[in-house]
Amino acid sequence: MTAPSHRSTTGNTALAPAPAPAPGSATAPPALLVRDLRISDLAQDREIVHGVSFTLTPGRTVGIVGESGSGKTLTCRAALGILPDHFAVTGGSVEIAGTDVAGLTTRRWTALRGSTISAVFQDPASYLNPSIPVGAQLAEVVRVKLGLRRRAARAQAVELLRAVRLRDAEVVARQYPHELSGGMLQRVLIAAAVAAEPRVLIADEATTALDVTVQAEILDLLADLRERTGLALVVVSHDLAVVAQLCDEVLVMRQGEVVEQGPTRTVLHAPRHAYTRLLISEHESYGLEKFLTPKETAR
Amino acid sequence: MVRRVLALTSGRIAVAVLLVIALLALLGPLLAPQNPLAGSDNALATASGAHWLGTDYLGRDVLSRLLDGSRVSVLGSLEVAVTALVVGTLPGILSVYLGRTFEWVTLRLTDTLVALPFLLFAVAVIALLGNGLTQAMLVTGVLVSPLFYRVSRAATLAVARAPYVEAALISGASLGWTVRKHVWGKVLPPIAVALAQTVGTGFVIVSSLTFLGIGVQPPAPTWGGLLASDLGYLDQRPWGPLAPALLIMITVWACNLLADAIRDVYGQAGRALDNDRKARAHHLARTAPAPTGGAS
Amino acid sequence: MTTTAPPAPGWHRGVTGTRAGRTVARGVAIVGRSVAVFVPVFLVATFVTFALRSLSGLSPARIQLGESATPQAVAQVEAEWGLDRPFLVQYGDWFAGVLRGDLGTSWTNGADISTLIGLGLSVSLSIALFALLIGVVAGFALGTAAALRPATWLDRSVTGFVTVISVMPAFVVGILLVTVFAVGLGLFPSAGYAPAEQGIGPWLAHITLPALALSLDVVADVARQLRSSLIAAYRENYVTGALVRGLSPRRVFFTHVLRNGIGPALATLGLKFPALVGASVVTEWIFGLQGFGRFANDSAQTGDVPAVQGVLVVSIVLVVTFNLVVNLMLARVTPASQRGV
Repeated sequence: MTAPSHRSTTGNTALAPAPAPAPGSATAPPALLVRDLRISDLAQDREIVHGVSFTLTPGRTVGIVGESGSGKTLTCRAALGILPDHFAVTGGSVEIAGTDVAGLTTRRWTALRGSTISAVFQDPASYLNPSIPVGAQLAEVVRVKLGLRRRAARAQAVELLRAVRLRDAEVVARQYPHELSGGMLQRVLIAAAVAAEPRVLIADEATTALDVTVQAEILDLLADLRERTGLALVVVSHDLAVVAQLCDEVLVMRQGEVVEQGPTRTVLHAPRHAYTRLLISEHESYGLEKFLTPKETAR
Repeated sequence: MVRRVLALTSGRIAVAVLLVIALLALLGPLLAPQNPLAGSDNALATASGAHWLGTDYLGRDVLSRLLDGSRVSVLGSLEVAVTALVVGTLPGILSVYLGRTFEWVTLRLTDTLVALPFLLFAVAVIALLGNGLTQAMLVTGVLVSPLFYRVSRAATLAVARAPYVEAALISGASLGWTVRKHVWGKVLPPIAVALAQTVGTGFVIVSSLTFLGIGVQPPAPTWGGLLASDLGYLDQRPWGPLAPALLIMITVWACNLLADAIRDVYGQAGRALDNDRKARAHHLARTAPAPTGGAS
Repeated sequence: MTTTAPPAPGWHRGVTGTRAGRTVARGVAIVGRSVAVFVPVFLVATFVTFALRSLSGLSPARIQLGESATPQAVAQVEAEWGLDRPFLVQYGDWFAGVLRGDLGTSWTNGADISTLIGLGLSVSLSIALFALLIGVVAGFALGTAAALRPATWLDRSVTGFVTVISVMPAFVVGILLVTVFAVGLGLFPSAGYAPAEQGIGPWLAHITLPALALSLDVVADVARQLRSSLIAAYRENYVTGALVRGLSPRRVFFTHVLRNGIGPALATLGLKFPALVGASVVTEWIFGLQGFGRFANDSAQTGDVPAVQGVLVVSIVLVVTFNLVVNLMLARVTPASQRGV
């Protein structure tokens, strides 16, 4: 599940390596801190997410696993400040790089998004404007968030496309979203998300609709970005295999409840909750044992 | 479909208003309290017990003229709508099935018709072909028929590409049977919407023409003609145009309301289809067992 | 994916060059397609228009000699006008004239029809373009306001207002405006026209009410269309995507939502133009304007066939030209893939 190593060396000038991450360091504030987060549907007056907590330090990855409707996407959206209408945070707190997001103004949110926290999603084609070439959309982010001039922003856009290992970056930059494949679009989306060098990247089912080889390449790319820039990742998936490959810590969610939480190894090897065990057994036929066996033999 | 439209409040209101208008057209001349053509010395009178809506510049009873004139408007607008329906729908559906030549020719023809300002054409046709609303409305009907062509073509295209229609054709069903069985049900609602809209358009056109005094002989009352005759006496009877103008507007509004109501019903069906597709896509993308989709 | 394009020497030059090239190519394609559509449209429409005379049985002799003319006198007048020639020869002759901009002479007074129409056209175009301007500005403002605050009192009142004005035919609005603003309040002249050369003030005063009367239909359609397409565009994921990348709501609206939502409203404008031209017949009658529509009406009433034919030809040219402009604008905002075939 690793990309050819020579590819990872091509053009990574766009993303300057961050200062060495200090996992576990007590002085630096965590990149993302979620404490007992509760989200309610105000229209139906019903709590949907019943208390999620996790701490994410630079260079680390938290995975959230669960079926659809389990509240994992709502949790992410709360952290991004884009909850759908009628939904609101009704308890707990979210801190992004030391800033409590409760009561942030629109202007503050705009400043925070892109340059401190960003996200990529499932169905990447729909998250890009169909009427604008992808290069111009990247350049827009660079221009607005980094204050680059038009010409420099365009050049930077191509560099970014190279940095997510797209071949023929100049050609891709000029193409419209409908002219690109799903895997390429997800790379473009990742490039747009990291263009302003955020500290946290949320990948919400980012590999779900892609076929297996492309999925592996995207996960590899995310891991590479994390290593190079000290990005902190939140990986949301229904797929335990994805989480197993990438994450240090896992939250298993069901119906808005965190049923199990802990280091990935522990959760996968010694699941305490019946639902986690069900998920693992369901995934055995999908290649999860590949991750289990070597570790089990090592034990 | 009728029942589902009537289930909506807006649908009920629209149908009720249109029924009243239709009744006026049928019975208007009988309901008229006075002779709509008989003048009196009491010209430009305001509303009173004898003349509920007052009298015009020749002392004729406005209410009677309104009631008597409703038939022309209703018949005229129905003529426009039915002509457009007949001329537009069949080629629209057939354009999907009869090959590229037919498709190309009909598409260019509709382009032509759309480019023609129909009111101008109606005026020209009436003047040149003799003073009768019937010809003008036929011509107008042809000119607005592209709406039906496009609507029925779009709906048919959507259905024709549906796998179950293909399956029916592959398994040897005849073209006619397939159209009746599978296409008609999907094509009908958008056509009903177009029909309601076109009746409204027809009303505006008939009123515009009669307002200009085109298409009917002078003493005969029409809604548009009433407005025109009021225009000369605005300083004496400023409220004069109110009744005919309101009648025209309410009728057009009812037609639009009906179109919206049908669209709402039909749109719900469309949305359900959409949700269904999304749900299926989601299901395919999922490997973990999860009975319900939701907020996540 | 295409990898056939040669590696660009410098990315900027490569991109700007190709982008400009693309835009030009697209423009040419659109003009080409529009012309391809226009030529058959023009042929069919002029043919039908010309055939009207044969169908009508009208003749200049009726107008000039009255009903009681002898058959010989009628035949002589018709021969003078060349009406005794075969139909297709007449059509060919007339069509050649049309291509040169010569629409023939009027049956009623022998005047050059192109000149007569030209005189009226400045009035009508002033009003139609002003109406379009009002329609676009007001429709845009209303539609955007409603779309930015959906399901609020603002949205509801805009929707209500739009519903009311959309069922008001131009002549009803015209009468209403005359009653209130000209007769009642005396703010505007109730009839007539003053050319712009005599001063912008009087010109505006004379065209405002008729333009307003014509514009309400455009306002309603643009507002309704823009509202629904903007709301639809706001539901799209790319809006979330742009927000997550840290773009401001204002920027998201202008560069992303508006760009994708404005297409249908623009297309509506293209469809509205024939209606504007047609409705000028009625509004010019109400406001006592000697414009294109009034000329059409008068010629039709007197049975002046060449004049009516000329009017129809000019209206077709106007409509097609306007549609071409709209299509070019549409091409600028949406890529080829979205416009469909």
